[in-house]
Amino acid sequence: MEKLLNKLLNYSWISMIVILAITIGFFLLMKENTRMETNLDKYMPQNHPAFIYSDKAEEWFNIQDGIIIAIENQKGIFNTETLDTLKQLTRKFQKFDEIDKADVTSLYTADNIVGTEDGMDVKRFFKRVPKSPEKLKQLKENVEKNEMVFGRLVSTDETVTVIIAEIKDDVFTQEFYQEILDVAKASQTDDIKIHVAGRPIVEGTMALLGPADMQRMVPIVILIIFLVLFITLRSFKGTLITLGVVFLSTIWAFGLMAAVNIPIYAVSTMIPVMLIAIGVADGIHLYSHLHTFVDHNPTASKKEAISDMLQHMWKPVAMTSVTTAVGFISLLTSQVYPVKYFGIFTAFGVMMAMVFSLVFLPAGIMIFGLPKAKKIDKEEDKGGHSHSKLANSFAASVIKNKYVSIIGTVVIIILSAFGMQEIWINSSFLDKFEKDSEIVLTDKFINEHFGGTSSLNLILDADGKKDTFKEPKVLKLVDKMQKDVDNQLQVVGNTFSLTDYINRMNKVMNADDEAYNTIPNNKNMIAQYLLLYEMSGDPENLNKVVDYDYEKLNVTFQLKSDNSKAINSALDVIHTYEDRFNDLGITLNYAGSGYKGLVFTDLILEGQIMSLILSLIIIIVLLSLMFKNIKIGLIGSVPIVITALISFGIMGFLGIPLSTTTALLSSIAIGIGIDYAVHFLEQYRHNASNTDDKLVAAQKTMAHSGKAIIYNAIVVIAGFLVLLFSVFPPNRELGALVSLNMFTSFAGTLTIMLVLLYMSNVYFKKKKINNQ
Amino acid sequence: MKTLKMKTVLVALLAVSGFTNQVLAQQLTGREIIDKVYNLPSGDDQTSDLTMTLINKSGKERIRKIKQFTKDLGDVEKSIMFFQSPADVKNTSFMSWTYDDDSKSDDQWIYLPTLKKIKRISSDSKSDYFMGSDFTYDDLGDRKLDDDTHKLIGEETIDGVDYYVVESIPKDEEYMYSKTKTWIRKDNFIGLKKEFYDEDEELLKILKIKKFEDFSGILVITNSEMENVQKSHRTTMELKNVEINTGIPASKFSERMMMRGI
Repeated sequence: MEKLLNKLLNYSWISMIVILAITIGFFLLMKENTRMETNLDKYMPQNHPAFIYSDKAEEWFNIQDGIIIAIENQKGIFNTETLDTLKQLTRKFQKFDEIDKADVTSLYTADNIVGTEDGMDVKRFFKRVPKSPEKLKQLKENVEKNEMVFGRLVSTDETVTVIIAEIKDDVFTQEFYQEILDVAKASQTDDIKIHVAGRPIVEGTMALLGPADMQRMVPIVILIIFLVLFITLRSFKGTLITLGVVFLSTIWAFGLMAAVNIPIYAVSTMIPVMLIAIGVADGIHLYSHLHTFVDHNPTASKKEAISDMLQHMWKPVAMTSVTTAVGFISLLTSQVYPVKYFGIFTAFGVMMAMVFSLVFLPAGIMIFGLPKAKKIDKEEDKGGHSHSKLANSFAASVIKNKYVSIIGTVVIIILSAFGMQEIWINSSFLDKFEKDSEIVLTDKFINEHFGGTSSLNLILDADGKKDTFKEPKVLKLVDKMQKDVDNQLQVVGNTFSLTDYINRMNKVMNADDEAYNTIPNNKNMIAQYLLLYEMSGDPENLNKVVDYDYEKLNVTFQLKSDNSKAINSALDVIHTYEDRFNDLGITLNYAGSGYKGLVFTDLILEGQIMSLILSLIIIIVLLSLMFKNIKIGLIGSVPIVITALISFGIMGFLGIPLSTTTALLSSIAIGIGIDYAVHFLEQYRHNASNTDDKLVAAQKTMAHSGKAIIYNAIVVIAGFLVLLFSVFPPNRELGALVSLNMFTSFAGTLTIMLVLLYMSNVYFKKKKINNQ
Repeated sequence: MKTLKMKTVLVALLAVSGFTNQVLAQQLTGREIIDKVYNLPSGDDQTSDLTMTLINKSGKERIRKIKQFTKDLGDVEKSIMFFQSPADVKNTSFMSWTYDDDSKSDDQWIYLPTLKKIKRISSDSKSDYFMGSDFTYDDLGDRKLDDDTHKLIGEETIDGVDYYVVESIPKDEEYMYSKTKTWIRKDNFIGLKKEFYDEDEELLKILKIKKFEDFSGILVITNSEMENVQKSHRTTMELKNVEINTGIPASKFSERMMMRGI
């Protein structure tokens, strides 16, 4: 290996050109083939039973997320101006290409079914906008009397009315959103305000805002990393080459993705984050070694210096890269495809970073020259055995005060364990926005006036038994459950199902007597009401709540929050009815984007925790094999464990919920932790083979690897702290957590790991095992 | 842009049909053809067993069997229907009186046997779908000749039968269809199929006449299918035991008869 690398040094121009040529190839591929996947449904594992069922149910009942356009008039909505705005907007939304005409609902489209003395009246609430005070008053009365509309399409304080436009999953674009806003805002007057909300808006804005913010922030991150790297490496060329390694590996990773035609998912944006954090490490360690060598041998030739660097460093670089890559490959156990891809392509990027560090970087140095030697004063008292005074005293004091590290670590672990109890999973999209952002405020406004902007669909399935949902006892139970959930939970604004139609029909057919606002006791009566509704109302409405054979029922719960706690609280109450439904031969299933988001987040976390444990085991085994010592394997994993624990602990304390991105960050703990540990261990082993004194080995290691580790940590922390100034909260969390992970990895490696290494006496018990 | 293109096509079609018209000996206009269709002899009354099958996009069916009676009383057409199955709606009955006078809206009653009450239904929408099917009341023959502007736009021969192709555009711009296209047999003025276009001029529904029978000179469509292509929903209507001019008494169409059943 070493020979091969040295041979390659003679052809540095060729290696450089070949690497750059391939990079250009990948770059062109990327430009050509790369596509972003913003449709969140595509992230879900399509073969998971919960998703299969939900997708089918969405098809059966035409369950789609709705955009909510709220028209507010503080003076009340029952006046000609407001109603005219409502009518015009409804019609404009019906004409959008992205929206099916039948999927737009408002007071203008709704039927008013009312009972009269001798029969039943099915009328639109209004077709022509009422102008006279009498007609306006009549409309107001009609709305107030119809609870299928009052509180649903018109707020009970009569200052707001909504238009709901359901859209398909994949039509949301920035332009579409802008068009909606333009149409909505154009209708605003002094009295009338228009608000736009709903899950498609939140989801779409998030999918656009996150990457847009990243695009703004990443150049600054890179600039800062560049500057700090320049200060630590003391070399412009070195900085360029080190960052070059990161860029090349990122381009290759994304180029390969484009080549095999895999789109970029939201989690893929984490790949460069990982590669920056991990990729600069190799460069820093190599340069650190080179500097030390050049400083001590100012007269050595380029080739000698690079050969020495490769001879000493190729092994730790290869070891760190392989272990890190294997760690990421363990993400293949995840059921979520974007996460699998993230694992594979990050692993590929890490391996490429290794190749570039061992081929491109030396070639670069051959071509652009060595860094300048720093004069070292051999006379100065370094207070130890290495060339660095600081390293000597730091290593000595860590070892001297070893119990500080041990006790500190134990305390931190205990605290983290407490913090982790507080961790909660959140699949909410809305929680990712600033509390005072337009989107959050609009959502809040609508939730105050209506049932809720989020929904959960409960699908009751009689498993093919026809006409089950015409049975009075079944419908009565459904009705009871709906009322129970509605009354028990503040967060549930209202509920809707077939029972609402039956209750209404029963009331209407009994001269609008409130006493009949119930489910009748006779099955035939229910069947006849349904037939009557089909004949007089819009039969399409029924298709949204019950299937053709009356063996599947869709119950919608409107929630005032899309966070996981809200959905789970509703699920908890629903579950108390499970046994009673099962006794009737009915199973409970769920559908809708909110529910899928919840299951999806659980899946990601489950996979993440599995892969965390798996990769930890793999790493311990790999380290044990590489160092031919199981103790080293265990000691080497300590920084990783601490980093992961602290990361989760702090998230718990700060109330940062686990979500798809924050969960993936635990991978960074592994990637970086392993880097630091391996470099340190390898250096320690090397130094131990030349001395009998553990302190000497520790101090030398500290001066060499320790310094590189600190540099590495400073560079990446400085870079990612920039994200704290991001306008998008999830990106801020990302910046903070990456910085934190870098810091704990570095602190853990240089303190507790060193102490454990020192106390374990490895490499000193049986002296001279001989490392070739 | 799209509509513009469509218009050009139509103009071209019109030119062609204009040309062929001149060659033909019999020069009927679109309006005359439709007039003949609307005025096909239908008898004074009719009794039949209707099987209406609603089929949704996943192929699930709702089958309804109805015994129906209709009678033309000059300025009013009365009909009464009794549901035979499914069992849970058996004996539910429905009566409607449709007036020739445009200004007078239909009268409709329903009788629900479990409720044991007759209720009057008033509905202000003429485009209402008939019993949840893909047919609207208008589609079932409630349309009047001069509600639309009719144009003969071509002639076709399908399976050896000659047809006129007539395009009808409603005069009321707010009407649910922007236009319809009807293929009409030249020999007996029975339609073969009819296409309905929605307000965006996109194909909405296709009506296919699958079978018609001759009852002593009166042609009755006994099997037809309406498909809503946008919703992938279909309705078939099959008539059996058709009897014409049996002299159903006018008193049959009363609330008392609705309650009594057949």
